Amino acid sequence: MRRFARDNGLGLFFGAIFLASLVGQALVGHADFNHLQLRHHDDPISLGRYVLSSDFGVDLMENWQSEYLQFTLYILMTVWLLQRGSPESKQLDKGGLGTDAEQRIGEGADPDSPRWARLGGWRTRIYSHSLLIVMIAIWLGSWGVSSVTGKVSYNAEQFDHQQAAVSWLQYVGTSDFWNRTLQNWQSEFLAVGSMAVLSIYLRQRGSPESKPVGAPHHATGVEG
Amino acid sequence: MRLVRLAPALLAAAAVAAAGCGQSDDRATVRATVDRFLTAYTADEGAQACAALSTDTRKELESQESRPCPEAIAAVELDGGTVTRVRIAVTNAKVDLATGESLFLSEQASGWRISALGCRPQGAPARQPFDCELEA
Repeated sequence: MRRFARDNGLGLFFGAIFLASLVGQALVGHADFNHLQLRHHDDPISLGRYVLSSDFGVDLMENWQSEYLQFTLYILMTVWLLQRGSPESKQLDKGGLGTDAEQRIGEGADPDSPRWARLGGWRTRIYSHSLLIVMIAIWLGSWGVSSVTGKVSYNAEQFDHQQAAVSWLQYVGTSDFWNRTLQNWQSEFLAVGSMAVLSIYLRQRGSPESKPVGAPHHATGVEG
Repeated sequence: MRLVRLAPALLAAAAVAAAGCGQSDDRATVRATVDRFLTAYTADEGAQACAALSTDTRKELESQESRPCPEAIAAVELDGGTVTRVRIAVTNAKVDLATGESLFLSEQASGWRISALGCRPQGAPARQPFDCELEA
């Protein structure tokens, strides 16, 4: 058990704090929703009703979509774009998809390479991009869900002010949808961009996201 | 690769759950509340009609007319008509009638109650509030 925890520490830690944060968001989101209900002279709703509502759904999904977009773009852009001095970048002469031998696929595969990396053909082509495919699917899926739940939440406000409902197509053209989307995107892009640049000059001893403490600022693609 | 197929399916299920959970029950309850109100209003049964209104809407009517709701409700001019469409959004709803009037409802602890009635659009309906005969 202890060995399992040590071997899977990152996944377990982030899984645990994700669940704790999710529960926290549900509790405070419910309290906030009911606070607004009372301000509008409406009655509070139960926690169960709240977590199944579009109000909770849109708050959850608008953040998920931006996180998955951030990492999708990071995975995709670091294939070709480089950053001198950053441990987040490949070495400056290594931009691009790499050769089959470098990627250990097809003829260049090792005996213990994943089966779809060894097989060649369409399966290896798909497996070569499987991380990006799944990340894009989750990003688009969560963005889609955020647009559906956002529309319902928006219409609840519309009805509360005796206004007509908007369709999904009208909603994705509203400032509400794009405000929810872009306020998340900008913070994700800032965080990932600043990490790539700050790590040129700053260090965290022991972290693979940093260069070794004594590595020179110009060293690129070196992990600590 | 199973996850590739699973992720969109899970997200689609979450969307349906979040957007549509319990909506058919709510839709039937909202429609029944409006039907009950319109039947009572047409039959001059003020007490039953007022029971379908939200507390704030009842108070607003009594304040406007300076008499109890069951007596004052007849002073509200409504075209009535049959329900043609019910739309639910979280704890709010809009009901359209065949005559072109709409009612707005909100969910209270006691159930769905009418918060605005005799409403007609003015200008662009999604941008400007409806003009209502009575609203809280």
